[in-house]
Amino acid sequence: MKCGPVIAEEPSMTMVKSNHLSNGEKQKAGHYSRLYRKFVFLTLISSLVPLLLVGWGIYIYYSNFSKERLKTSFQNQVESHRKIIELFLKERTHDLQLVALNHTLEEIKKQPTLMRILDSINREGQYFTDLGIINDQGKHLVYIGPYDLMDKNYSQTFWFKEVMKKGFFVSDMFTGFRSSPHIIIAFLRIEGEKRWIIRASIETEYLRSLVENVKIGATGEVYLLNQTGILQTSPRFGGRIMDKAPLPIEQFREDSGIRTLNVNGGNPEGSHSKQIVAHAWLKDPHWLLVVKQGYDEAFHDVNHANRATLLFLHLSLLGIIIITAIITRTMVKTIKNRDRESEALNKQLIQAGKLASLGELSAGVAHEINNPLAIILMENQIIRDTVEEFPELDEAFQEQLMDSLSQIDSQVQRCNLITHNLLRFSRRTVSQIEAVNINAFLNEVIQLMTNRAKGMGVQFITNLETNLEPIFSDPSQLQQVFLNLINNAIDAHEGKPYGSITINTQADLQKQGVKIMVADTGSGIPQENLERIFDPFFTTKPVGKGTGLGLSISYSLVNKLGGDMSVQSVVGQGTQFILFLPFNRPGDSEIHSEEHPEQPSFQNAEKEPIQ
Amino acid sequence: MKKARVLIVDDEEAFANNIAKLIAKRGYDIKAVYNGQSALQALDEDDFDVIVLDLKMPGLDGLATLKIIKRKKPSVEVIILTGHGSMESGIDGIEMGAFDFIMKPVRFDELHDKIRQAYQRKLVHEENSHNFMGNKE
Repeated sequence: MKCGPVIAEEPSMTMVKSNHLSNGEKQKAGHYSRLYRKFVFLTLISSLVPLLLVGWGIYIYYSNFSKERLKTSFQNQVESHRKIIELFLKERTHDLQLVALNHTLEEIKKQPTLMRILDSINREGQYFTDLGIINDQGKHLVYIGPYDLMDKNYSQTFWFKEVMKKGFFVSDMFTGFRSSPHIIIAFLRIEGEKRWIIRASIETEYLRSLVENVKIGATGEVYLLNQTGILQTSPRFGGRIMDKAPLPIEQFREDSGIRTLNVNGGNPEGSHSKQIVAHAWLKDPHWLLVVKQGYDEAFHDVNHANRATLLFLHLSLLGIIIITAIITRTMVKTIKNRDRESEALNKQLIQAGKLASLGELSAGVAHEINNPLAIILMENQIIRDTVEEFPELDEAFQEQLMDSLSQIDSQVQRCNLITHNLLRFSRRTVSQIEAVNINAFLNEVIQLMTNRAKGMGVQFITNLETNLEPIFSDPSQLQQVFLNLINNAIDAHEGKPYGSITINTQADLQKQGVKIMVADTGSGIPQENLERIFDPFFTTKPVGKGTGLGLSISYSLVNKLGGDMSVQSVVGQGTQFILFLPFNRPGDSEIHSEEHPEQPSFQNAEKEPIQ
Repeated sequence: MKKARVLIVDDEEAFANNIAKLIAKRGYDIKAVYNGQSALQALDEDDFDVIVLDLKMPGLDGLATLKIIKRKKPSVEVIILTGHGSMESGIDGIEMGAFDFIMKPVRFDELHDKIRQAYQRKLVHEENSHNFMGNKE
């Protein structure tokens, strides 16, 4: 193609147009990224909000529920331990009571009798360490046991005073005369005038084993305290029996309960940890049973489950976000492609519309212009004839007149050419569809143009795919198209000493047709012209050299033949036209049936080259 | 040689008259009419060798006129004048027996050549049929 002065297009206009275009592209990109963000946002809102609500709801509900259950089980544990201890002490008290009520002092004073009694109450287990009978002066009347306590006077001890006052007594853990922690149970028998006390000390090992052997997890422990906070059993961690317990006893006034405490020391996890503490007060003696465990361990399973739930929830979130991003990206890409396709289609429709409306208009105009042109030609001839009848006319005048008349003739011919080309749009020619061997056909066309090309220093290079299937098309219309393309390609080399035109053919089996590429090494077409190249009357050739109809006619012919045509160009390097022609024209059969077999040849009237 | 008789039918009176003037100068018997009806009338009144017939006319149009002409006088040669846009009509005309068609605007020389060729063909046909008849006799 030639790149001469651009007709009817000021350079500044072109600039404005290209700026506008790039703005449009930017706007489009912005539009798609906005669309992308909007889709992602809405999808995430609609999927994440319910998921989060349900997820967090389940998490909170479940964690509360499990903690409550755990606390309840802690509470139950403390209760059952309390019952066991209470029951044990009550049974021992009953044992003693039974012994006291069933024996008189006379009977029980005798050592063998008392020994027999100790054996019988220890029958179920070695619960009692020793047994003694004490008179109301606090002196041992008889004693059976491992310690030497016969000479001890108990009248000043706290428990002796208590039992004389209340009738029976269960002591806290204390060391007493024997200097090892123990509990005593004492019972006062009033036998007429005589008052005596039966006193037994409990095998504390047994009581302690009830409590100290309970092991809860790695950090759990169970112990007993008396009212003043002195340990009655050794805790598992820190502290020993008879020590002050590391527990603020004043906070545990209610009958039973459960709480979490921050405890300093006395635990295996370091100086400071959060613990869950359940407690219950025994009735008699008034002791505090404490069950406690490290908070983290107690709730380990719950916390683990919670963490798993949260992890799962957040992984789901992440998954949804990623999937949403991917799906939306694909979707926006699809929309983008569809937009692009429909835009291309719109462009084609606009082009087709331009051509169609031009066709209608031009048919009318051409008809109206043809008649006056015909008359002008005839008038011209009449003047010529008349001049010949007057040979006496001035020689110079005649010469000038003849010049003018020929000029009129040639100008009318020019008009004629324009209307002729215009009318090609509107003409509903019956295509003469026949099998065309496209390679042979192209060689013929090249043959026709070789001389003109040689004159311009342009040579043809062909690269034709062998064994191409023939296409069904109209050879005379195809000839118009290719003559036009090659003419333009030769013109594009104006001002260059040499160049080439390369013609390739290639089967496109997917689209069922042939791709033909006509590439030149000419001056190329600038972008702003490239967009208008198929527009009617658009030309870059100097005034009078071209009508600007050639390519638009070629375009409409190729379309009519069921193909399509596009162009690529690099300024200074050349231009390539890419044509696609189908093997079979769509709606072929219809056209065959319309064909008239004995149609005479009349194409000599159509041989004017289009430009 | 006998003078060829030519009938020009065109609704553009100036065009018809111009051709008539130019043709007459070149030694033909010429008559110009401006519509189909007048053409048929003229055909009834006189014999013509060649008719130059415009296709686009108000009233009886070119093709209809051609049909009647060919029915009445099959031996007359008809040259059709047409605009570029109605080439199909030109083809139809040839199918209906016209000698050829010419697109407007046409240079006079071209038209003159066509008329001459049409007349030649008419003469050849007449001679052939004459010979044929003569052989038969």
